[in-house]
Amino acid sequence: MKFEEAIVKSIKNFMDGNMPTSTGKTSERGEIFYTPDYFDAYEEALEEGDFEEEEVEEDV
Amino acid sequence: MFKMFDAPVPGENFTSDTRNYPWHRPPEIVEYDDGVDYLLEKLSDPEQAELTYSMLEINLPIVTVVSAMLMQGISKGKFPIDLAVLMAGPVARYIQIIAKNNGIKHELGIEDKNRTPITPTSLKMALGIYEDAEDDTVEVEEPPVAAEGFMSPPDAAVEGDPASEEEQAAMLGQVEENEEDML
Repeated sequence: MKFEEAIVKSIKNFMDGNMPTSTGKTSERGEIFYTPDYFDAYEEALEEGDFEEEEVEEDV
Repeated sequence: MFKMFDAPVPGENFTSDTRNYPWHRPPEIVEYDDGVDYLLEKLSDPEQAELTYSMLEINLPIVTVVSAMLMQGISKGKFPIDLAVLMAGPVARYIQIIAKNNGIKHELGIEDKNRTPITPTSLKMALGIYEDAEDDTVEVEEPPVAAEGFMSPPDAAVEGDPASEEEQAAMLGQVEENEEDML
């Protein structure tokens, strides 16, 4: 399998709602943040125009 | 003769520094969310955004744009290949959302191009349903076109009807003359 084919397969899987759940378990949070649901909500918020970027508190 | 020696010396690969290339070193990002964060942040950079959306404007599919971004990250040693493959989905989805929101024409590029689309006509053909279509076409007689070339055959409509067989035979001297007339 070529790299491009793997990318296509990965995008297809993500669009179908599949996620690398085992990879998420290995992260510090224990779950994945950027899920298909997150992007659906992001899209809705952008369409409604009430999306605000999270402000990062900086230590002074 | 000397060409046979024009090859690496066995074991020469062990003499080169394995840290010559970024992908030979441990990657900077190994977490899925961190990697996606890095790429989304990169996409929000005005220069990168201009490049990305210009690529979409020239009908390049999102898959190609994402592949290029990921290859760049891999070659710089930012993240490993397997993580790049996992990150392709969220990045493609993000680009799709932004392109849709900004009214940029885009194509995802994950459709199977070899698949024949099913249409009502193809379905009817597959099921053996044939309908007699009403023939609404009107036949229009085309005006005769005059022969243009010197060696082109004579046009009947222009030159008139061809001579009858008897006339042609007479012209060729194939008519039997009566002996009485000869005398």
